[in-house]
Amino acid sequence: MKQVLRDAKMIFSQINRRHMQIILLILSLSLFVLGAGAPGAGSGIGGW
Amino acid sequence: MILLLAVAIGLAAGLVRAWIGKRSYQAPELNSVWLVVLAVLPQLLAFHIASTIKLIPDAVASIILICSQIMLMVFVLANQDQSGFELLGLGLGLNFLVIVINGGWMPISPETVQKILPNATHNAWTVGERLGSTKDIILPIVEIKLEWLSDRFLLPAFFPWRVAYSIGDIFIAFGAFWMLWVQGKPLNRD
Repeated sequence: MKQVLRDAKMIFSQINRRHMQIILLILSLSLFVLGAGAPGAGSGIGGW
Repeated sequence: MILLLAVAIGLAAGLVRAWIGKRSYQAPELNSVWLVVLAVLPQLLAFHIASTIKLIPDAVASIILICSQIMLMVFVLANQDQSGFELLGLGLGLNFLVIVINGGWMPISPETVQKILPNATHNAWTVGERLGSTKDIILPIVEIKLEWLSDRFLLPAFFPWRVAYSIGDIFIAFGAFWMLWVQGKPLNRD
C-alpha cells in the first residue's frame, strides 16, 4: 500500500504546470472545434 | 468527430516536431478558457448527448447554437494574438454568417444529404427540416443563402465516415492543426 502511494505521489509530482497547460489547450481546442464547427454527419444521423 | 481528428493530428505532428527538435512541447496560456466551456456545454446537451437532445426543442437548440458561437467569438478575440486563432476565428465567423443568414441552422442541400445517407429510408429526412440531431437544416440549393458557405463538401471515399462539411469547418480544422503544430517549433536562439 505504501509503495502504491509512493508511486502515485511520484507520478503526480511529475505532472507539472507545463503538462496542465498542454491538457488545458487540448481540451479547449477540442471543445472549440465541436462548438464552432458544423459538419453534417451521415452515420446514424446525429453524429458529431 | 471529424474536426476532433484535426486536433489529434495536430497534436501528434507537434509532438513529433518537438521530439525531432529535441525540445519539450510547449503550450500557451489561453485567456478566458471558461468561455469555451460555458459556450459548448449547452451545445453538447442540444446536439451531442442522445438523452438530452430530445428534451430540447429545435427552436431552443437554434438559439443555443447562435449564442454559443457568439461566446466562442469572444473567446477568439481574447486570444487573437495566439497562432492559429486567426484561422479558427475565420472559420467560426464563416459558419456563424451562413447559419444566421439561413435562420439559425447550417444549410445542407438534399443532394448532399443523399450522398452522406445513401441508404437512408424514405422518411429518414425531410426537406425544410433539421437533419436528425445535427446543426444542419435541409434546404433546396436555390433557397440556401450563401450556398458556397454551406455544408457542401464531402470526405474522400476512403474515410470511414460520411460527413459533409463547410469552408468554415476547413478553416477551423487547419486552425486547430496549426495551433498544435506551432507549439512544437524549435526554440528561438536569438
